[in-house]
Amino acid sequence: MGSSCRIGWNDFEDTFRLPSQSQLRGAYRIVLGYQSFSTVLKAKKRRLGRAQKTIGDYCLLAGSPVDANAHYSTAIELARLTGDYFWYAGALEGSVCALLMDRMGQKDPVLEEEVKYRYNTVILHYRKSCMQDNAQRVSTLTFELEATLKLARFLCRQDLAKEVVELLMTAADGANSLIDASDRLILYVEIARLFGTLGYQRKAAFFSRQVAQLYLQQDDCLAAISAMQVLAMTTRAYHVESRATSSKSKSNEIRLNHIDSGKKELQSVVFLFESQWSTLQMVVLKEILLSSIRAGDPLAAWSAAARLLRSYYPLITPAGQSGLASALANSAERLPSGTRCADPALPFIRLHSFPLHPSQMDIVKRNPGREEWWVGAAPSGPFIYTPFSKGEPNDSSKQEVIWIIGEPVQVLVELANPCGFDLMVNSIYLSVHSGNFDAFPISVSLPPNSAKVITLSGIPISVGPVTIPGCIIHCFGVITEHLFRDVDNLLLGAAQGLVLSDPFRCCGSPTLRNVSVPNISVVPPLPLLVSHVVGGDGAAILYEGEIRDVWIRLANAGSVPVEQAHISLSGKNQDSVISVAYETMKSALPIKPGEEVTLPVTIKAWQLGLVDPDNAAGKHTYGSRVSRDGSSPMLVVHYAGPLALPGKASTNGSAVPPGRRLVVPLQICVLQGLSSVKARLLSMEIPAHVGETLPKPVYVENGSTEELASPGSTTDSLVKIDPYRGSWGLRLLELELSNPTDVVFEISVSVQVESPRKENNLTFIDHDVAEFGYPKTRIDRDYSSRVLIPLEHFKLPVLDGSFFSKDFQVDEAFNTRSSSFSEKNTKAELNASIKNLISKIKVRWQSGRNSSGELNIKEAIQAALQTSVMDILLPDPLTFGFMLVRNGSVAAAQIGSPKESTLQPNLPGSKGSILAHDMTPMEILVRNNTREMIRMSLSITCRDVAGENCIEGDKATVLWAGVLSGISVEVPPLEEIKHWFSLYFLVPGEYTLLAAAVIDDPNEILKARAKTNSPDEPVFCRGPPFDLLVVGTT
Amino acid sequence: MARIRECNTAGQRKGMASTACFIIVSRNDIPIYEAEVGSALKKEEAAHQHQFILHAALDIVQDLAWTTSAMFLKTVDKFNDLVVSVYVTAVKKIYGHIHCCFIVFILLFSLTNHIIHTRLMLLHDSRNEDGIKSFFQEVHELYIKILLNPLYLPGSRITSSHFDTKVRALARKYL
Repeated sequence: MGSSCRIGWNDFEDTFRLPSQSQLRGAYRIVLGYQSFSTVLKAKKRRLGRAQKTIGDYCLLAGSPVDANAHYSTAIELARLTGDYFWYAGALEGSVCALLMDRMGQKDPVLEEEVKYRYNTVILHYRKSCMQDNAQRVSTLTFELEATLKLARFLCRQDLAKEVVELLMTAADGANSLIDASDRLILYVEIARLFGTLGYQRKAAFFSRQVAQLYLQQDDCLAAISAMQVLAMTTRAYHVESRATSSKSKSNEIRLNHIDSGKKELQSVVFLFESQWSTLQMVVLKEILLSSIRAGDPLAAWSAAARLLRSYYPLITPAGQSGLASALANSAERLPSGTRCADPALPFIRLHSFPLHPSQMDIVKRNPGREEWWVGAAPSGPFIYTPFSKGEPNDSSKQEVIWIIGEPVQVLVELANPCGFDLMVNSIYLSVHSGNFDAFPISVSLPPNSAKVITLSGIPISVGPVTIPGCIIHCFGVITEHLFRDVDNLLLGAAQGLVLSDPFRCCGSPTLRNVSVPNISVVPPLPLLVSHVVGGDGAAILYEGEIRDVWIRLANAGSVPVEQAHISLSGKNQDSVISVAYETMKSALPIKPGEEVTLPVTIKAWQLGLVDPDNAAGKHTYGSRVSRDGSSPMLVVHYAGPLALPGKASTNGSAVPPGRRLVVPLQICVLQGLSSVKARLLSMEIPAHVGETLPKPVYVENGSTEELASPGSTTDSLVKIDPYRGSWGLRLLELELSNPTDVVFEISVSVQVESPRKENNLTFIDHDVAEFGYPKTRIDRDYSSRVLIPLEHFKLPVLDGSFFSKDFQVDEAFNTRSSSFSEKNTKAELNASIKNLISKIKVRWQSGRNSSGELNIKEAIQAALQTSVMDILLPDPLTFGFMLVRNGSVAAAQIGSPKESTLQPNLPGSKGSILAHDMTPMEILVRNNTREMIRMSLSITCRDVAGENCIEGDKATVLWAGVLSGISVEVPPLEEIKHWFSLYFLVPGEYTLLAAAVIDDPNEILKARAKTNSPDEPVFCRGPPFDLLVVGTT
Repeated sequence: MARIRECNTAGQRKGMASTACFIIVSRNDIPIYEAEVGSALKKEEAAHQHQFILHAALDIVQDLAWTTSAMFLKTVDKFNDLVVSVYVTAVKKIYGHIHCCFIVFILLFSLTNHIIHTRLMLLHDSRNEDGIKSFFQEVHELYIKILLNPLYLPGSRITSSHFDTKVRALARKYL
């Protein structure tokens, strides 16, 4: 029985199969069972027919289809007459064989029709015989099925598919009647084979699976191996192919490329995931796993479990997932270590990012034609983005990355373990097929349902392109390659809702933009400068305005010398870098590998902006060390090695090795330093003494000599007021400074003064600068202090219209009066002069041993000076001075001179010894500070201590000689006149001399200077008071 | 009245255990909806087997659909005593908008996919052809309503619970 159904033999063999011994014996027994004559006759005929059929079989065996056909024809006739359907069908089948053998190689439709017709009869008669010979112990079903399959095999062509399918379906139906499981198995094998030939892959897979199930019912290792192999053939139809056997991955690739390049048409995306029969796929994989475990094939088991776990983890319970994990581990135990499998298991890996070179080792394309070779090179650094890129968008998305031989590189990948067990990745490293890259493996452990971004690194070892399709992973005891592309496809499907689950999202990892592997190329070694700030790379903590030198050490850590280098500044607060030693860099070139250069850089801490919210907070918590990353300036060093490598001088000239860029951020953390609370202007008025000897004037007439050059005057920085000159008109700038920090500050003020100008034809030539130092002021922490800055030495020697400039002209043109003059004075002019004044005052501070800086007080001073700058800068139109005339020598006390200096050395003081009851000859000096002749009526008053006029009135204590009031004098421009007079004091004591003048016909300048309110108001000039001490007895 | 009678007959049929597995296969051969609608005791093994049979029947449907203009293809495939009946819809594809033609007679060809049909497949053991045909027609109507949803991407899985409820109700009514 079993032998009667050997499917898989070829037609020829099947056709020549003779009925087996048992069948024949059974048939004869039936024949002998009949008793009557007719039955005997019938039996005789039947026997003859059967004999004829047998002879036909032998003829066929002997290779004579014609003879066989003759015998078969006889047998058919006899069997038909006797109703021996079984043998009728057999003989008919034999005749078809003979016919086909006769016309071997021919295929014409008539023959085909004939064969089809005859075989249908055969099948019909086998079925009939089955019903007829119900009592028969031999089932004719097998014959019927066999005949059906034979016909199906004969017809098996695409255009006859419908008929073949019907035949095969009939055959499949018959399988239920087969008692022996192995018969059914063979039947299914044949059906599957025929469906496969027909191109019905799914049908074939279905019956193959039935075969596998029948195999699996046998408790046998060999059967399990067969089951495994049969199932392996179904994987293609069910889209669960192992990558080792699939050629489909290539077509997948093509498809994906198509999608990448073209528009992502939804339908084609859907098409990517046509294998969505997840239930079936899981069942098939489970069966493959089961059969391969039973068959003792650990690699197949591992592969099936890996595919099952990777593709269907969302449909598997955590317990099932753990079971699969242990199946993987168990399988791996039986495998030799280092086994590779084509099917990846877990984890899922996607490219997270492709770090560009850090700014320290950025690569810049070199333009060999220009000296500034980095200019115009494609920006490769971060933050350089332009919405108007030159290339097509497709090209720009594919970035270029350059790696350098011998310099380690990093790639960030994200791993996800969406399953409910701990995943231990023994090693993971980048898979590089180009062979010019050494990847460093690392090991990772992933907790259940977690994702992790890890850094994979390696070193490029030779020049050429590098492709990174994925990672090699040693996990669950087997080495697999995980391709980024697969996960990208998966994520694409997940985004469309076509795939079960996104493994990264279910692990809580944020959705990432699809990162594509850039085009990587490896270039020969380049120099590599490494920067290092001497004294620590941390941020320098500076108070506002602090000036400090920073030394930056640049070392060449590469293997190629640096031959070109250029330093530039970038970033915010560039002006806080006062100086960079460009020359040091230039002179140090070339920097050989291993060599170092130290560059001094002077930086001055910038002011913290008032609008800066950080600073506002810092005001309350002073000393808060806020360092904004973006606010520090950066040194940018462009450097490059030799234009051609020594070994490869013959390489094509176009490929110049690229240069590099080193960005050294000058890390500065600016702390709030001293803050100026306010500045205001004070005036101090001490009257001068009149004496016979006078302090040496700051400059004598016409300012031709300079007394300040004596060393004694500069060393002593105290403000001294000469009693013979007083301090009339001395202004002091008071700065109120508070120290919110936790250190002590010492303030020193220095004033730069342009030396008195030598007036040569009214042009100022010599601008010697002298500095006046003042004693230091110490401000303790949390205290405020006031610093006084004498505003002297600023007065201009001449009062002329240049100060008022254009407005003056305008005023005249419109015939407006001087009252509006000052109002109309443009702010710009004023501000310019204030700025000029301010720039001469420097307030430096020092704190501790090594921090010092300059205080920014410009705004404060400006505010303070805004209103009274004219008083400070402009001289009075007239200056008055008194002196005693004695022994014919003239000693002049010239006080109130605009350029007087109180910084006088201790002159041999001579007290003005004026005796009462003695005629005291005196003279008054009147100096015209303008450039025009001034006519005036001068008057001199003398007051006593009580302030009473002591020249006129009831209690006059002074007799006088000479005119003391209403003296009409004319003073030529920039010159002085003297007027002699004598005083006779009656009462000793202290007196005060005052000179005053009413200027006749004042011009606009004088009016402006005097700030007259109405045009008719007389311009009145008054000198400072002079003290007179009269001794003697009453 | 007729409605009541139908319900009665359905109720009577409920007594005998019937097997019915309904599945909608998109034109990309992806099942987009699956439901075991039979009243027989559900075993997981059997459910898998049903899907295997339906999956295998796709080969035959694929060829058969082009030989006939009928939408309802009865008994296209069988395995053991389970029969596969299929209802093939005609879907017209317009770029930028997916439009569904309800009418049988318009068979439109798409340039990109040679299979343009969505197939409603039912695996059953009952011979109640009329009931099956009505079932298919009503489910087709439901399916069109799903397709008209602008948020539904044609070819993706039907997750609407409303649809599921309706289909199961129809199965109870007709099968």
